[in-house]
Amino acid sequence: MDPRYDIPRRAAAGGGGGSANSSPALGAQSRRRKIPPRPADFKLQIIIIGSRGVGKTSLMERYTDDTFCEACKSTVGVDFKIKTVELRGKKIRLQIWDTAGQERFNSITSAYYRGAKGIVLVYDITKQETFDDLPKWMKMIDKYASEEAELLLVGNKLDCETDRIISRQQGERFASRISGMRFCEASAKDNFNVDEIFLKLVDDILSKMPLEVPNKELSNSVLSLQPEPEVPPELPPPRIRCC
Amino acid sequence: LNQNKPAFKCLTDRSDLVDVDGKNSKFVLCQRCDAKVLRPGIAVFTEKELFLPSMKKKSSLNTSEGSLDGDTLMTHWLVTDIFDFENVGITKDVGRIKYLICADCEIGPIGWHCLDDNTKFYVALERVNHA
Repeated sequence: MDPRYDIPRRAAAGGGGGSANSSPALGAQSRRRKIPPRPADFKLQIIIIGSRGVGKTSLMERYTDDTFCEACKSTVGVDFKIKTVELRGKKIRLQIWDTAGQERFNSITSAYYRGAKGIVLVYDITKQETFDDLPKWMKMIDKYASEEAELLLVGNKLDCETDRIISRQQGERFASRISGMRFCEASAKDNFNVDEIFLKLVDDILSKMPLEVPNKELSNSVLSLQPEPEVPPELPPPRIRCC
Repeated sequence: LNQNKPAFKCLTDRSDLVDVDGKNSKFVLCQRCDAKVLRPGIAVFTEKELFLPSMKKKSSLNTSEGSLDGDTLMTHWLVTDIFDFENVGITKDVGRIKYLICADCEIGPIGWHCLDDNTKFYVALERVNHA
């Protein structure tokens, strides 16, 4: 059963309340400092959102064995990670924010969304309600995120195939209605597709950054990702289509 | 509070690790998974007395009885911009403190950051490898 797509058109950016003392402020301050990036470095913020229990944290935190995370994950947890990836011959620093623990739609502060160049929206393929929640998450994205932010829809828990309730086609269909949104399924448990998710997103972001890099540099370098199928041309340009 | 662990590394170790500018001459790596934390020449050798909770799994960061298993460490790599790290994880706030962990295997804490100064991230020499 598909959720309804009664999503208002993307509103103008902004409209966020103050959140100066919440943790995203750290990232916000880093952004504000505007230190010129070192050669061949980009800094991109990526946030992971989705309903409770869909596996957002395990997309970011790879291991669950006897580590620091077991000792203190429930009490402290990871706020964000800096990860360096190489793509198109460039070094890119990703700042990846996990919003777990703030899943109520309105509790994730706008600060998370505002600076994000990439947004990973996660649902659980074994839980209908996490899929039904997607339009509500899209509302938040519309309200707070930059219009340029790249979106990736992830159907997580592919390792639980026997309990699957949301078909791959349902996920694809949801993503296809939102202009520029990519879709994939993943299993954070066995790390299937997880690295690819971030690389794919980064590649999309980079391809949209012609102003900061001379175009020829980007187009001349070899792409280390498999090209994604193009969005069918008949799809309308606006990200959200109202039915 | 009695710390029973010797906090200082011997000086001979250090000249290996610190270049003429006082920066790290080697890669800073995770002790468990070898993930790159810092590239050479990024961080400044610094002495500062910092308490880091134990890296052993059963230690907990929420002080239940004020007795927290850990080490007081004196030697650190000081990083002034979070984006200077190659890979690092930052915990949520513990009071005014955020701990640094390995971004890949999440072992830690390997370092310390206080919310009062957004330009100081410390990575404890004793909690990382150098190569």
